[in-house]
Amino acid sequence: MKLAGLKSVENSHDESVWAATWVPATETRPALLMTGSLDETVKLWGSDELVLERTNTGHSLGVASVAAHPSGLIGASASLDSFVRVFDVDTNATIATLESPPSEVWQLRFNPEGSTLAVAGGGSASITLWDTATWGLVATLPIPRPEGPKPSDKSGSKKFVLSVAWSPDGRRLACGSMDGTISVFDVARAKFLHHLEGHFMPVRSLVYSPTEPRLLFSASDDAHVHMYDSEKKSLVGAMSGHASWVLSLDVSPDGQALATGSSDRTVRLWDLNMRAAVQTMSNHTDQVWGVAFRPPGGTGVRSGRLASVSDDKSISLYDYS
Amino acid sequence: MACVYIPVQNSEEEVRVALDQLPRDAADILDILKAEQAPLDLWLIIAREYFKQGKVEQFRQILEEGSGPEIDEYYSDVRYERIAILNALGAYYSYLGKIETKQREKEEHFILATQYYNKASRIDMHEPSTWVGKGQLLLAKGDVEQAFAAFKIVLDGDRDNVPALLGQACVEFNRGRYSESLELYKRALIVHPRCPAAVRLGIGLCRYKLGQFDKARQAFARLDPENAEALVALAITDLHTNEAAGIRKGMEKMQRAFEIYPYCAMALNYLANHFFFTGQHFLVEQLTETALAVTNHGPTKAHSYYNLARSYHSKGDYEKAGLYYMASVKEINKPYEFIFPYYGLGQVQLKLGDLRSAQSNFDKVLEIYPDNCETLKALGHIYVQLGQTEKAQEFMRKATKIDPRDSQAFFELGELLISSDTGEALDAFKTARSLLKKGGQDVPIELLNNIGVLHFERGEFELAEQSFKEALGDGVWLPFIEGSEKFQEIDASASVLQYKDRQLFHRLEDSGRHVELPWNKVTPLFNLARLQEQLHNAETASILYRLILYKYPDYVDAYLRLAAIAKARNNVQLSIELVHDALKVNDKCPNALSMLGELELKNDDWVKAKETFRAASDATDGKDSYATLSLGNWNYFAAIRNEKRNPKLEATHLEKAKELYTRLASDSFEDETLLLNWVNPTGSNKAEDDRNLYLWLNWILMGCVDFFQQLEKVWEKQAAVGSLCRTAASSKEVGDAEYSCLPSFRLEELVGDLFFNCLEYGTGVSYVVLLQHPANLYAADGAGVVLAEKGHFDVSKDIFTQVQEAASGNIFVQMPDVWINLAHVYFAQGNFSLAVKMYQNCLRKFYYNTDSQILLYLARTYYEAEQWQDCKKTLLRAIHLAPSNYTLRFDAGVTLQKFSASTLQKTKKTADEVRSTIAELENAVRLFSQLSAASNLHFHGFDEKKIDTHIDYCKNVLAAAIPHLDAAIREEQQIRQRQEVARQVALAEEASRKAEEQRKFQLERRKQEDELKRVRQQEEHFQRIKEQWKSSTPGSKRRERSEIDDEEGGNSEKKKRKGGKRRKKDKGSKSRYETEEPEADMMDDQEDLEDEDANLNYREPTGQNDQDDAEENAHDPLAAAGLEDSDAEDDTAAPSSTTGRRRQAWSESDDDEPLERQPLSRENSPELRDSDEEVKDEVHRPNGLDAAEDED
Repeated sequence: MKLAGLKSVENSHDESVWAATWVPATETRPALLMTGSLDETVKLWGSDELVLERTNTGHSLGVASVAAHPSGLIGASASLDSFVRVFDVDTNATIATLESPPSEVWQLRFNPEGSTLAVAGGGSASITLWDTATWGLVATLPIPRPEGPKPSDKSGSKKFVLSVAWSPDGRRLACGSMDGTISVFDVARAKFLHHLEGHFMPVRSLVYSPTEPRLLFSASDDAHVHMYDSEKKSLVGAMSGHASWVLSLDVSPDGQALATGSSDRTVRLWDLNMRAAVQTMSNHTDQVWGVAFRPPGGTGVRSGRLASVSDDKSISLYDYS
Repeated sequence: MACVYIPVQNSEEEVRVALDQLPRDAADILDILKAEQAPLDLWLIIAREYFKQGKVEQFRQILEEGSGPEIDEYYSDVRYERIAILNALGAYYSYLGKIETKQREKEEHFILATQYYNKASRIDMHEPSTWVGKGQLLLAKGDVEQAFAAFKIVLDGDRDNVPALLGQACVEFNRGRYSESLELYKRALIVHPRCPAAVRLGIGLCRYKLGQFDKARQAFARLDPENAEALVALAITDLHTNEAAGIRKGMEKMQRAFEIYPYCAMALNYLANHFFFTGQHFLVEQLTETALAVTNHGPTKAHSYYNLARSYHSKGDYEKAGLYYMASVKEINKPYEFIFPYYGLGQVQLKLGDLRSAQSNFDKVLEIYPDNCETLKALGHIYVQLGQTEKAQEFMRKATKIDPRDSQAFFELGELLISSDTGEALDAFKTARSLLKKGGQDVPIELLNNIGVLHFERGEFELAEQSFKEALGDGVWLPFIEGSEKFQEIDASASVLQYKDRQLFHRLEDSGRHVELPWNKVTPLFNLARLQEQLHNAETASILYRLILYKYPDYVDAYLRLAAIAKARNNVQLSIELVHDALKVNDKCPNALSMLGELELKNDDWVKAKETFRAASDATDGKDSYATLSLGNWNYFAAIRNEKRNPKLEATHLEKAKELYTRLASDSFEDETLLLNWVNPTGSNKAEDDRNLYLWLNWILMGCVDFFQQLEKVWEKQAAVGSLCRTAASSKEVGDAEYSCLPSFRLEELVGDLFFNCLEYGTGVSYVVLLQHPANLYAADGAGVVLAEKGHFDVSKDIFTQVQEAASGNIFVQMPDVWINLAHVYFAQGNFSLAVKMYQNCLRKFYYNTDSQILLYLARTYYEAEQWQDCKKTLLRAIHLAPSNYTLRFDAGVTLQKFSASTLQKTKKTADEVRSTIAELENAVRLFSQLSAASNLHFHGFDEKKIDTHIDYCKNVLAAAIPHLDAAIREEQQIRQRQEVARQVALAEEASRKAEEQRKFQLERRKQEDELKRVRQQEEHFQRIKEQWKSSTPGSKRRERSEIDDEEGGNSEKKKRKGGKRRKKDKGSKSRYETEEPEADMMDDQEDLEDEDANLNYREPTGQNDQDDAEENAHDPLAAAGLEDSDAEDDTAAPSSTTGRRRQAWSESDDDEPLERQPLSRENSPELRDSDEEVKDEVHRPNGLDAAEDED
C-alpha cells in the first residue's frame, strides 16, 4: 500500500485548516471535500483537482469540526463559539443551528444510517444526539463521573469530551476525552457501557474500522495510536512513531490501512496487518489537523483518495493504492 | 716430558725437576731453589707451571718468595727476572681483582697488584711488560684513560708490542672506538700471527660492533669451535639474523657454549631469554641467577635482572618484577644502552598505580624511541589517569599517526576524545572499526556501542541504529526491533500497566524460543532502546527495556526509562509503579526518588512528594543538590499553590523553602557576604503589606541560582554521556537525560516568576553567576534574566542569544526557555514583532506548535501591539489546542471586548469596522455567557459575578455600538456622497489646472514669439479667463467648508443621540471633581477590580488570587455593580477611559499579585504610564465636553 501526492492547494483558507471530511457522492455530483478553518469559513472542494466549489460563512471563532451526512446532501460544521450549523451541501441553505448550552461542541459525526448527529460536548462531559429529521435533541449521553468525586474542578475538565465515533453498524458510539479515556455507549439503549483505558492524554480523534465493527482506533496527544476491541475492552495494538500529538486518524475503506495526522507535521500511513508505519508524508509544514479517506461510491471513482489539512493553510490530496 | 734442571751450586750437576711431577708442597722446591741459588727464571718457570696446573697457592708462594727482600738483595743485579716475577704477581692479583665480586676484596687485590707493579717499575722504569701489566690492571679497574696512557708508553717504545697492542685495542673497544680497536687487533695479528684466540675474538667483536656482521662471523668462525665466547658471539650473530632458522642455530650454539662453559653470563642470559619466550620460567630463573652469580659486568647483570623481572612480570608477580626491573635499571648507567627494563618498570608501576614513576620511566623510553607506539599509548594512559587529557590526546594522536594501522590506538584515542570532541572521537572509532574489519577481526561490542552513542549524540540516528544493531548481532531482540513480533492482545484496563508486562517473554519461552541476553549486550540494547525512544518508537523501546529487565531485573535504569516513557504519556500511576520497582532494587537511588517525587507532585500528592524528596535528599546525605532543591521547590510550590491558602502554613513553607535554597546557595557560593546580601537586601524598605516580597524574590533568585548550577551539572553529565555509556553502570547517565528536562521546565517556571515578579529587584546575582561560570549556559541564561530585570536589555539579549546559539548543538539539551526569555526581552523592549518571531520560532522548534502557554505569551504580545485580530486568532488556536482551558476563552472574550471598545473609540470608523466590532462583541458576550453557564458546573475557577460583569459590560458596549453602526453607516453614505462630490470637484480642478498649465505654457511660448501687442491682447484674454476661473474657486472652498460643517454636524448629531446620557455623565464627572475623592476612590476600586480581572487573563487557570478577588468582590459587590451600572449608562467616552485603564491593567496583569506593576514597562515607571493614560483620557474627554457644550 502506498500514498502518492496528487494535488496540493496552498492557502486554501486564510488561516489554519482544522477539519476535513468527505461529502459522499450523490446522484448528481461526485464526492466533495469539506474543510473547516480558523478563518471561520467552511469550504467545499471538488475532487481530484480540488476546485473550490463554495465558501460557506456564518461561523465565528473558527470552525473546529465538520461532518457530512451519509446521503451527501447535508453537512454540519461546528465552531468554537459552540454553534453547530447544519446546511444543505449543494445550496448552502441553513437547515438548522444547534446549540445546547452550556456544552461546547467539538467533533461531529453522523451515524451510518444518517438518522442521528452525534456531537462531542466538551466540558459538559457528554455527547449530544440530534435527530436529523426534526433537528431536535434526542438524547444526551453523559460520561459517568468516577465515584468518590475528587475536588470538582479537576475531574470536570478531565472528562472533557473531544471526539466521537460511530461503529459501522451504528449500534455503538465511542467518545474520547481530555484525560485519555474512551467511553463506549450502547446507542439504542442510550447507555454507557464501559471505558477503554490506555491513553492518559487527550484523545482527539476516534474511528471504527469499516470492515471490523468492533475495532476502534484512537489518536492521542501521547503520540500513540491505539487499537481496541471495543466490545472485549481489550487493547489490540499500540503504534508509536509520531514525534508529537496525533491529531486525527482515518481508516481506509478497505480496512487495510490507517492514516494519521500529527503535530509533527507528518501524515503517516500504517499497514494494519503489520501494525507498522509504511509511509510518512512530510509535505505539510505545520500541524496536520485532519486526514480523511474518501468513501467509496459515486461515478467512476474506483481509486482511493486521502485528503489531509493542516495549520499551514494547505490541503493535500493523495492517491491511495 | 718437559723438565727443568736446577744447577747445583758449585758443581756441574743439576737437579732435574719434571714439571709434571712438581711436589705438592712448594716449600720443597723452594728449598732447592734457595739452596742452589737457582736463577730467577727457573723460579718463574716453576711458578708458572704450578699456575698452569691450577695450583695457584704454590704459584703464589714461589713468586712471593721470589720477590722477597732476600732475593732483591741476593739477585740485585738480575733485573729482568725480578721484574718478571713482580709482573707475574701483579697480573695474578689483577686477575683476582677482576674476577672478585666482593668490592672490598676486589680492591685489596688491585692494591696488591698495584704494589707489585710499582715495585717492578722501581727496578726498571722502562720495562714495557710492567707497563703492559699496569695497563691491564687499570683496564681491569675500569680506568680506561690511564690504561690507554700506560699502553701508549709501551707502544711508543715498541709499536709492535703485542700485549700492549691487545691492551690498547681493548681500551679503544671500551671507549667505543671500534675501528681503532680493530686496527690494533689487526696489527697484533700481523705481528704475531699465532696469537691467542682472544685476538680474533676481538676482531670479530669489533667488526660486529661496526656492523660488519659477515666479517665478524668469519672472525668468530676462525676461532676454536670449543671456544665458548666465540660460540656465544656466533650465536648472537645468528640470533640477530631474525630468521627462524638462524635463531634455532643461534640457540644451538648458545647451548653448546653453555655446555662448554656453563658460567658465561652472556650465554646464560640469552638462554634465559630464549626460555622466557618458550615460557619455561623455572629455567629462566635458574639461568639468570647463575648469570648474576658469575658476572659483575653491569650491562650483563642488567640484562639478567631484566630477564628475571620479565619472567615475574609475565607471571603477574608485579612486586617482584618491579624489584628486579629496578635492579636492572640500577645496573644501567646510560639508558640508551638498554632501555627495556625502563619500559617494563613503567608497566609494572603503572599496574601498581605509581603513575608519576611510570611516567618518568616511559618518558625515558620515549627519549630513545620517540616513535614507539606502545610507549606513546602507555603515556597516553598515564596522562588520562593523571587527568591531563590534552597531553594524553597528544600522545594518542602521535601513536595513531606513527602507526595508522593500530586499531587499539585509535580506539583509545576515540575514548579520550569523547568528552572533548565527539566528531574526532567518532572518526577515531570509525578508523578503528574499519582497521579491525580490514584485518578480518571481530569488532568489539564496546567499539560499536561507542560509535552508536556518538552518532546518537550527533543526531545521526540511522547510523546510530546501524551501529547498535551491529553490536547486538542476532538475538531474541531482533524480531522486536524489526516489529515482526506481534503485539499481544491485552485487556484494556490491564493496558494501563502495559510497560510492566513481561509475560510476553514468558510466552516466548513457553513457545520454545530461547530468550537470552548476554551481559555484554545489555548496554548496546539499552542504548538502542533509548534511540528508539528518541525516534518516538516508544513501543519498541519499551519492549527492549522490558527484555533487559526480564533477564536482568536489577537494571534500575531500564525501570526509570520505562517510567519516563509512561510519564511522557501521562500515565502517572504506571510510572510511579515502575519507579517503585526501581526502588525495590535500590531504595536509595536518588534518581528514582527524585523522579518519584516529581510524579507524586504531578499526582497532586503533596505530602508523599515531600517525604520522597526528603528521602532522596537523605539518601545522598543532602549532597545531591537536586534532591535538596526538589525539597525546596516543594516548599516553594506548596506555599504558592492556590488551594487552601493558609497564611501561616504558607509562611512556614516559604521559610523552609528559603532555608533549603539558602543551603543550596551557600553550598554553591563561597562568598557568604553576597549570599547574606541576597537574604537581607540592604536598603530594602519592606512595606508590611508587601508580604515579605523581598524575601520571596530572594528565595526565587536563590532557587534560580542553584537551578543554574544544578543544570550546569546535568549539562556536564550529558556531555559525558557518550563516554559513560560504555559500561552498563554508567548508562544511567543516559537515563538522566530525562531529568534534565525537568529542571529546565521548572527553570522556565521560576524564570517566568522571576521575570514577571521582580523586575526592579534584580540584585547582583547575575554578575556573580556569570563570572563564576563563564562557560555555563544555564547560568548565563539566568544572568540574562536578571539583567533583563534590571533593564539591561541589550546585554541580556546578547547573553540569551549566545546561549541560544550554544545550546543549539546538543540533542539532549533543549533550551526553549532561552528563546522564551529572549522573546520576553524583546517584548519588554517593545519590540513586538521580534518578540512574536521569537515566540513563534520557539513554538515551532521545540513544541511542534502545541504549547498553549507560549501561544498565550504570543497573544499577549499581540495584545500589547494592539493587533487584535492576530491576538484573537492566537487565542483561538490556543483554545483549539487546549479546549478545556477556560482561561483562554476568558482571555479571548477580553480581547474581543477590548478590540471592540478600541474600535468604537476611534473617531473615524467605517460601517464595516463597526459591524465587525458588533460581531466580535456578540462573540465576546457569547464566550462570557458560556463561561458563566459553565461556572455552574465548576469547570474552572472563575467567579461568576465577574464574568457577569464582563457580560453586562459587553452588552452595554454592544448597545452603545448599534447607534455607532447607524452613524457609521450614515457617515459612510455621506462620505461616499462627499467623496463623489469631492471626486468631481477634484476632476474639475484637475481639468482647470491642466488647462491653466497649458495656457501658461502657451503664454510663455507666445511671449517669446509674439509681439508685445499680441501679448497684451493675450493678456487681456487671459485676464478674462482668469476672472472666470476665480469665480469658480470660492465655490469649491465654500463646499469644503460645508463638508466640515457636515461632519461636525454628523458628529454632534451622533453624540446628540445619547445626549441625555452624556450630560448625566458630564454632571457625574463634574460632580466627581466637585465632591472630590469618594467617587474617584470608587473608580479606583473599580480599576482594581478590573486589574484583578485582567490579572486572571494570563495566568494559569488556577490563578492564585481568585479567592482574593472573590473576597474583594464580596467586600464591595454593590459598589462594583453600581459602578458597572454607571458605566453602562455612561457615554462612549467612559469605555474609552476604562478600557484605557484596562489596557493599562492588562499590561500590569501578571502572575504575581503583590507586584501589580508593569513588568517590563517601556516607560520608566508605571506612574508615568498612568499619567500618560490620564493625559489621553483628558484628550478624549474635552472632545465629549465640547460636543455636549455645543449642544447646550
